Amino acid sequence: MKKLVSFVLAALMLFSLASCSKSSIPVIGISQYGEHESLDNCRTGFLDGLKGAGLVEGKDFTVNYQNAGFDDNITTQIAQNFAANDVAMMVAIATPSATACYAAAEDKNIPVIFTAITDPVKARLDSGNITGTSDKLPVEAQLDLIRKLQPDAKTIGIIYTTSEPNSVSAIAEYEAKAPEYGFTIEAVGVTAQSEVTMAADTLISKNVDCMSNLTDNNVVGVLAGILEKTNEAGIPVYGSEVEQVKKGCVAAAGIDYIELGKQTGAMAAKILRGEAVASDIPYETISEYGIYTNTPAAEALGIDIPADITAKAIESAE
Amino acid sequence: MLNLIISTLTEGFIYALLAYGIFITYKILDFPDLTVDGSFPLGAAVTAVVINNGVNPFLALLISVAVGALAGLCTGLIHVRLKVRDLLAGIITMTALFSVNLQIAGSNMSIIGIDTIFRLMPFGDMPQIYRKLIVSLILAIIVKIILDLYFKTQNGLLLRSVGDNENLVCTLGIDNGNMKILGLVIANALVALCGSVVCQQQQSFSATMGTGQMVFGLAAVIIGTTIFKKMSFVKGTTAVMVGSIVYKACIQTAITLGLPANLMKLITAVLFLLILVLGNLPSKGGRKHA
Amino acid sequence: MLELKNITKIYNPGEVTEMSLFEDFNLRVSDGEFVSIVGSNGSGKTSLLNIVCGSIPVESGQILVGGKDITHMPEHKRYRNIGRVYQDPAKGTCPNLTILENMSLADNKGKKYLFASGINRKRADFYREQLASLGLGLEDKMNLRVGSLSGGQRQAMALLMTTMTPIDFLILDEHTAALDPKTAEIIMELTDKIVREKKVTTMMVTHNLRYAVDYGDRLLMMHKGEAIIDKQGDEKITVTVPDLLHVFNEISIECGN
Repeated sequence: MKKLVSFVLAALMLFSLASCSKSSIPVIGISQYGEHESLDNCRTGFLDGLKGAGLVEGKDFTVNYQNAGFDDNITTQIAQNFAANDVAMMVAIATPSATACYAAAEDKNIPVIFTAITDPVKARLDSGNITGTSDKLPVEAQLDLIRKLQPDAKTIGIIYTTSEPNSVSAIAEYEAKAPEYGFTIEAVGVTAQSEVTMAADTLISKNVDCMSNLTDNNVVGVLAGILEKTNEAGIPVYGSEVEQVKKGCVAAAGIDYIELGKQTGAMAAKILRGEAVASDIPYETISEYGIYTNTPAAEALGIDIPADITAKAIESAE
Repeated sequence: MLNLIISTLTEGFIYALLAYGIFITYKILDFPDLTVDGSFPLGAAVTAVVINNGVNPFLALLISVAVGALAGLCTGLIHVRLKVRDLLAGIITMTALFSVNLQIAGSNMSIIGIDTIFRLMPFGDMPQIYRKLIVSLILAIIVKIILDLYFKTQNGLLLRSVGDNENLVCTLGIDNGNMKILGLVIANALVALCGSVVCQQQQSFSATMGTGQMVFGLAAVIIGTTIFKKMSFVKGTTAVMVGSIVYKACIQTAITLGLPANLMKLITAVLFLLILVLGNLPSKGGRKHA
Repeated sequence: MLELKNITKIYNPGEVTEMSLFEDFNLRVSDGEFVSIVGSNGSGKTSLLNIVCGSIPVESGQILVGGKDITHMPEHKRYRNIGRVYQDPAKGTCPNLTILENMSLADNKGKKYLFASGINRKRADFYREQLASLGLGLEDKMNLRVGSLSGGQRQAMALLMTTMTPIDFLILDEHTAALDPKTAEIIMELTDKIVREKKVTTMMVTHNLRYAVDYGDRLLMMHKGEAIIDKQGDEKITVTVPDLLHVFNEISIECGN
């Protein structure tokens, strides 16, 4: 028992040591939901954005980066930690981190900057001392792109995780907008990553003309497995961001998370400098989406990429 | 530093509600109940929906208790009446609840800006962090007292006997199965109550928030009971409340130390093991006083 | 009166390990009778008790108590009128509850277990008295957890607890087998005293031939699902341990041992 007490005391001391390292340089607490290419790119872009605005890490700010390993409970504790340490700003990457930061920052009125949230209005993160950027997919641009590349296509298959809010709202938008472009959407919901390749089989058996990806973590995680099946069946798959095209998707009208992060960083810089307050800045959606194509992948499936698509072509598939 | 301790205590008190539930299933009934990973978000989902529809947040707590009890009833009936193994019965309910939760509240639902139990308490303009501490402390204590009183009733004694000695309960002319079902009902009602409080504290529901709750609860129960193993006068409920706080403190320590984020779970496991081992060592000085 | 009529019990029916234990087995036990049952391993003694208590189902036949058919009554309902003490002392008490709590729990048998206090303070003196009659000093340890008692102490408690409320049958399943000889003797004497006092119909399975001879007013020896010896009244009095041993030896030779 005594040992236990001393252990707990030692832990508490480490606690206080770590929190004593306060200095006059403002700390930015970055709470990221988990390690994931897109989310990592957001963070990298964010830091680039601060740099681009003339702020120097170590001089103008320091970073306390935490990620929750996709555990909702840990997002809460990370946010509480930031609040207790009086960080100058919380940066939340993805929705669970953002709501946790917002709840923890309430008392101290610490500004929260979020990114990689599809629908800030639905998450009720559109008012208060909070702002940021949304990663809502440019669905119409994607539909337009598919129409140009496959003029005869009728159905688009989409696999999505029913518990991922971003995916659910993206599916709703796809279904709403698809008729305008002459498509019908064949959506298959999954609850776990292990079901994704089976869902791909389902879509292939339904003879969809192509498949389109969202930024769905479960689906993107096994993209290679999906592409193996679709390439065999001769079905093109469209991505939702540049990383997916690099991995072998035919094309994407999508987000570049680095760009999104930079945009967020620029907003944060204004707030850190005191030029604006978060509550006065409305959240922003990505100002520019990119069109990316993978020429080898397109050629393999016999798709001609029209010259009028101003593509940042990625010539090699990894 | 003080704020950090307050937040950690708050987390510990709130999750103590869940730990009580696991104490009943795991420690008293000897039933590895995986329903928890589903009934916890169930409580949160129901809370998010009813609060969004203008229901009083305190009433939301009671509604959560009721739906949690139903979830426990399902697992109980599947196990006892349909004779499905304990572990599987819990997995079946948990899996079904995943869909149920999505159906109730979608993949996530925010209640930011709506009054919660923490806001409604008449504490003047006290900051949220203190409100949360006080409210969660009150809840943890009230539930603890109710449970302690219940465990001393005839029915409570019977429940405590079920996990200990099924045989005895049967020879007393009581159906063991019914007592097991009752235990699961109480436990999952508590778990859903915890889900409701967490939802109001985080101001959001997410379909994935139940993942790992069973493991947390087990850890809290084991840490708590190990710490107080040699002090029989400490009640089980008190022990798991402390266990819950210790577990949350471990996580917060890992965060504060800035340990590599991807190693968090591993470090938590090591801290957990350390506490268990330290708790198991015979305390040389302590024995004389005991 | 307990009647077993044309009982057939088959273990693992339909499997390779299928084994028929009872075929058309019949037994009558009159009210107030104290039956001692002996027999080699696998002879069907414990199965007989399990059939009476409903712990195992039967393939065919009837179990009647006072003319009422209880063949399909669930186990826990039968125990409302039956008390049972097992070989394993841990089975009759709850180790995590105190002596007082255990006694209160047993005392409530037959009534509803609701939200009244689990500890019956009014009856505490009665419990103390009962415990004192054991002569084991348990009456001074009412708040001690039963888990810390010895096997003999627990078995004595189990016996008290089982017979505290009115029951029609007392089933003793080798209840002295796990105890040291001296404790076994104490428990056996206590058993006899309680059975005489309460005049409860009793079926006692035992490995101890002397107990079977010395106690009870009827003696059964089971072999392969049949009662090969059934002596009662004056006949029973004349049976001696060597007699029983002799029969045992014959059975063993027959079985090729």
